Amino acid sequence: MTTLLKRNKWEIWRDVIFALFVREIRTGFNDKLGLGWAIISPIVFIFVLSFARSRIGGAETHSLPTFTFMAIGILFIQSFLLTMSGSAGAIRKNKALFAFRQVQPISAVLAGALFELLTKVFVIVGIIIMMYFMGMELHISDPLLLLACFFLLWMLAVSLGLLFGIAELFVIEVGKVRQLVERPMFFISGTFFSLQDIPREYWHFLDWNPVLHAIELTRFAVRATYGSEGVSMGYLSGIVLVFSFFSLAVYHIAWKQGVSR
Amino acid sequence: MIRLDNITKYYPSRLGKQYIFKDLSFDIPSDHNIGILGANGAGKSTLFRLLAGSEYANQGRILTDLSLSWPVALATGIHPQMTGRENTRFIAKVNGIADIDEYERRVIKFAELGKQFDLPVKSYSSGMRPRLAFACSIGIDFDVYLIDEVTSVGDAKFRRKAKAALLERSEKANVIMVSHEMDEIRQFCDSAIVLHKGELTFYNDLEQGIAQYQAL
Repeated sequence: MTTLLKRNKWEIWRDVIFALFVREIRTGFNDKLGLGWAIISPIVFIFVLSFARSRIGGAETHSLPTFTFMAIGILFIQSFLLTMSGSAGAIRKNKALFAFRQVQPISAVLAGALFELLTKVFVIVGIIIMMYFMGMELHISDPLLLLACFFLLWMLAVSLGLLFGIAELFVIEVGKVRQLVERPMFFISGTFFSLQDIPREYWHFLDWNPVLHAIELTRFAVRATYGSEGVSMGYLSGIVLVFSFFSLAVYHIAWKQGVSR
Repeated sequence: MIRLDNITKYYPSRLGKQYIFKDLSFDIPSDHNIGILGANGAGKSTLFRLLAGSEYANQGRILTDLSLSWPVALATGIHPQMTGRENTRFIAKVNGIADIDEYERRVIKFAELGKQFDLPVKSYSSGMRPRLAFACSIGIDFDVYLIDEVTSVGDAKFRRKAKAALLERSEKANVIMVSHEMDEIRQFCDSAIVLHKGELTFYNDLEQGIAQYQAL
């Protein structure tokens, strides 16, 4: 006889998210390279770009080693974009599983987002190990600020992903719009430049972008002399708060009709 | 008893809302093995998905204190790139089974997939997938099993086995099934619900229901 556990809502959530998470690890990369590719490919990408840029652009950018400067930028923008598309895609990808009443779209989103978070943690560790062997300085002046920035950026990506994922249930074409919006993000978020490189009178074209805030603040967290002019933690956390509230509110009213179409 | 309380369900389409049910209230009685009869597109599968909580009605609610299975269709929730074992364990975890290993042994025994159980489901034959799907659901003690044309795919031996398993459980559990094969309905069910133009009618006597359905 199989006995079913009497679970409360949270325990069901925990079990379902865990099961989806394991499933994601198992099926996300099904070739021989497997999960390793999700970690190796960004490391190589970040390494090559950062290394090339530090050869061309000089050893330091605004008192930060150019390699570190670039690595932070690419790592953050990549984490943001992949987490957002991963969360948004998780809903449609797991649609067949909503046949189980225990599986709700938000569990799929959280599982996908946690998966992205996990791979990015491995990428960060990989980059740090590389920097160590290249003899680069690994000092961080404000580790807490760095963690906070990364976490806030992740939260923002998950909220936006949830929002897009829900919208895509109703109008499939939203997915194409999302991909269109994602592309310029790479270039306007301060990945390759610092806000300080831009004349002050043009800042307002760029400083609405919370991802730029997250990247610049992280550079500031690594080296205090980098400065944090023009970006603010308050703005970043405010935006994250607004978007997470908004996306959860939209999810709450729309998910049942979304999966019923 | 499963009570449908004022259910309205439609699907949006280019031609406006396609209503499947409009203000439908109905009690599905317990202690019957019920075959749902209806033409293509009458809403049998929709009814199933509503009952199982896979989808939600636009208005109204479904009330029951029974535990219902998920709609066991050909490959619901089975990932083709995962092995039979991984799929089984996934379903176990989602449904909150206490002893996953024991459940796994039950599924192995019932599905009779042999070594294939450890191969990806995409390499299974079309008869083996529903066998796995059915084994996964019958391995859990539900009050009502919702079965959507699964048994029709299996061979005679598998059908006998499915029937025996359901009979064994029939004191505590019932089945609600959809099939277009009357033989199959006769094999598993004792009463019928005819679904026609968004209305449900319950027939205590299966033959009477089948006669009604065929007269439509």
